[in-house]
Amino acid sequence: MLAFDILIISIVFGIATFFTGRYAKEVASILSGVLLILIAAFSILRFSSYTGGFVSSYSITISSSIGLYFSVGVSGLTDALLILTGIVMLVSILITGREYGSAFFGLEMLVEVGLIGLLISRDFLFFYIFWELVLVPVYFMIGRYGRDNKDSISLKFFVYTHIGSVFILLSIFTLYSYSFTYLGSYTFEIGPLMSIVHLLPPFELGFVLFGFLFGFLVKMPSFPIHSWLPDSYYSAPYPATVILAGAISMMGGYGLFGILMEAYTAIPLWVLYFLIALGIISIIYFALTAMFQRNIKKMMAFASASAMGFVTLSFAASIIESTGSEYSVKLIEASGGMFQIVAHGLIMALVFSALYYISRNARTDSVYGLGGIYREAPMLASFSLIGFLASLGLPGFAGFIGEFSIVVGVFQAISWYIFFVIFGMIITASYHIWTAQRSLYGPYNENLGFIRDVRAGEFLILIFLVLVIFLLGIYPNLIFHNLVNYTSNVFKVVS
Amino acid sequence: MNAIDLFYPEIFLAIMGFVVLAVGIPIRKSNVNAGITFATLLVAIIIILFTPYSSAYGITMNKFSEYFAIVLLISALFISLPVAKYLGKRSEIFYSALIFSSLGMILVAATWNLIIAFVAFESVSIMTYVMSAYGGKQRNLEATVKYFFTGTIATTFIILGVAFYFFSVHTFVLSTNNIISIATRPSMLLALLFLLIGFGFKLAIFPMHQWAIDAYDGTENDVSAFLSTGTKIMAFVIVLKIFLVGFSAYTAPVYYFFVVLSVLTMTYANVAALSQNNVKRLLAYSSVAQAGYLILVLAVVSYVGIGSGSKAVDLAIASGMFYSLVYIFMKGGSFLAMNMVKQDNVTFDAIAGLGKKSPYVAASFSILLLSLAGIPLTGGFLAKYFLFLSVIDGGLWWLAVIAILNSAISVFYYMKVMRYLFWEDPKGEFSTDIGNKAMVIISAALVVLLGLLYVIFPMLINISSQIVG
Repeated sequence: MLAFDILIISIVFGIATFFTGRYAKEVASILSGVLLILIAAFSILRFSSYTGGFVSSYSITISSSIGLYFSVGVSGLTDALLILTGIVMLVSILITGREYGSAFFGLEMLVEVGLIGLLISRDFLFFYIFWELVLVPVYFMIGRYGRDNKDSISLKFFVYTHIGSVFILLSIFTLYSYSFTYLGSYTFEIGPLMSIVHLLPPFELGFVLFGFLFGFLVKMPSFPIHSWLPDSYYSAPYPATVILAGAISMMGGYGLFGILMEAYTAIPLWVLYFLIALGIISIIYFALTAMFQRNIKKMMAFASASAMGFVTLSFAASIIESTGSEYSVKLIEASGGMFQIVAHGLIMALVFSALYYISRNARTDSVYGLGGIYREAPMLASFSLIGFLASLGLPGFAGFIGEFSIVVGVFQAISWYIFFVIFGMIITASYHIWTAQRSLYGPYNENLGFIRDVRAGEFLILIFLVLVIFLLGIYPNLIFHNLVNYTSNVFKVVS
Repeated sequence: MNAIDLFYPEIFLAIMGFVVLAVGIPIRKSNVNAGITFATLLVAIIIILFTPYSSAYGITMNKFSEYFAIVLLISALFISLPVAKYLGKRSEIFYSALIFSSLGMILVAATWNLIIAFVAFESVSIMTYVMSAYGGKQRNLEATVKYFFTGTIATTFIILGVAFYFFSVHTFVLSTNNIISIATRPSMLLALLFLLIGFGFKLAIFPMHQWAIDAYDGTENDVSAFLSTGTKIMAFVIVLKIFLVGFSAYTAPVYYFFVVLSVLTMTYANVAALSQNNVKRLLAYSSVAQAGYLILVLAVVSYVGIGSGSKAVDLAIASGMFYSLVYIFMKGGSFLAMNMVKQDNVTFDAIAGLGKKSPYVAASFSILLLSLAGIPLTGGFLAKYFLFLSVIDGGLWWLAVIAILNSAISVFYYMKVMRYLFWEDPKGEFSTDIGNKAMVIISAALVVLLGLLYVIFPMLINISSQIVG
């Protein structure tokens, strides 16, 4: 019930923001701050002694004859992602300049509504509605406020991800049409429907799995269905990039771990190995592509995609290991993947926020256009460096925990192929360091003139993110514990 | 109970049609006629609500016919007020034509008799010829002539089809009890073909769609709204009854024809719409594409079999019913939004920057476009959701893939319109008429409301089984 209330409140807040005119920024900041506090309070209340499964379940019956319910429920994974959403959206709204106007803040709040809605929905009708709803405001944000080819890129973003979504829809329909056969009644609820996936006839099983995987991997994004990502990240205004990289990128991961994992027994082994291959290719390919980018924003877009490759990898590897007796490995593996989603979102929010201030103050975000900005703006350069280091997975930051657990776990599944993953990590480290060296340190590019450092308010936003990332890096159990409980419940592990 | 009770709505509309004509002679103000017509249609809806469920003289009132009669009246009601401003002096002929066509439409909704359906259908057609010629500009007349000639050709096909149908089953009554022997199958096939071509013209499905593009483009916006909603839904109702009920003993060819036609219609229309640079023609192509989605209902139901008791049948018919209702507002509202532009040729440049001049109208128009594209929180989404669900439930997964990909492609051109609405600078003049704006905003509000009204769907499923009459 509490989670449902948060959703309703967010909807009211979202609509209200559109009509606030001059005070949009203040109102949106306060409202999203309130939402974050509500989510945090909810987490403390419901998740301090979490043992797996779904809490705060609530269901409204619309029609039982055709199985229409509006069900909500929150798991350990969902809760972690809710917190991520709350933080990233707050940061995105705080860094948004007043010049964007009230409509932009309204759109940002709508994204938050969509994300909260899709995370807590436990039935496919509303899950899909919120899933699609996220696209619309982002489309307007890129198309209206973006740069360079924003028209075609916003359209590409929308249609590309929409095509991914409709395949999810087809899978949902197929499951629904079999629900009467296997469950005795028609329903759209996620839990019951995912529990019958392994009973489906072979063709329908393939159809359902293909639809879900295609839809989620487009959102992830995974190689080779990623081409919307670099363009959208690059073309979107920075606040929207923070949302894209920080919050929306978790949708694909949530789809895999929050939805598809409930049907893990139904996924054939070769599909899992295929996913592992996709994950590894994503890590290496995106890292290599990032290395050749001359624009830091685009480079970080590829870095983000590369980091999400770990999520695909851990999803597939943990299911391969789920049949094994080593239960701790698969738990660490899957929980590491989920942790990686959260860590990646926070780190990307930090990276893009810092980059936003750099590009605003120095009026460029290309690697060669910048240079040695530490001399003029030491704070800003330091925050960017922290972001880069966290992004490459330096121990002490949240990103390390995720990648470390994944690499440890995945070794059991793919043995020496782990070399490829390590190779990707080395490339990642190298271009991060190179970029930091080239743009933040070294000789100052005198053409830039005077660069203002961060103001006090901006400093607080960045230090807040750094603290959260650092906190999760040294005390991951804040959420890791709940993720392990969630995973062991899904894998039905008796510990 | 008297059999006459059944005919109160029809009698009332017929009387009021003549009353409007008579009132129009002394009173030349179109507003008065608009008011009378609006009230008449509203009262007709109320009378239909109170008409008893029974059957006499080939007219059957049940929940199914009641639903569609009301939906069709709403489509006439929807344009009755906005159309007033351009009619000028001789408005009474238009309004009586509108009332008489409503009369024909509710007859179509209420009859399961092929000959009555044909006569009612034809009366609506003739009235719409009158209506589309209104305006008197060269382009109106050109469009009307095109519409008229294709319409008469379609009529010929329908007559032939009706004749062959009678020849095959020895009755005009559309019923699931009609027996089709092996010997009469060839003539039944001919009946199917002729009826399909005839009604396919009105439904504007590929390859009988070309008149619709020109007619919707050439007529005044309000009339286009009526042509693309009212008459299309009427054709849809009649097609549902003929091919699902009348042909229920011989469904295989129905299935093949409608699968092929629906795939061709939606694919062709969506691809053609991509390259349009005139918004009205784009909307016309999108209306053809929507007809392609609508006839998926026939493909599914004839594939599964109407008497099979499968959930897919109920879902398909119910989604067709819901689609028809939403379609009035989303398509009609889009055509009415064209009234905001002060020129006849509505190019993309003509609508550019509407979002800067009147943001609420532009936002409402985009809601209507999003609904046509099937994006959540709109009625169009819910309609498509259950339609595609029924296609999958009926076992036609490949058809669902084609349909849903088409739906995804259509996003391209709807978004293109939205891009011009919001991100380009205004180039032309926009109407400031408050009535225009109100209609667009009201239709958007209704579309969103229908998108949130999940409870309506189970109700429609209960009604859908009464399609057999």
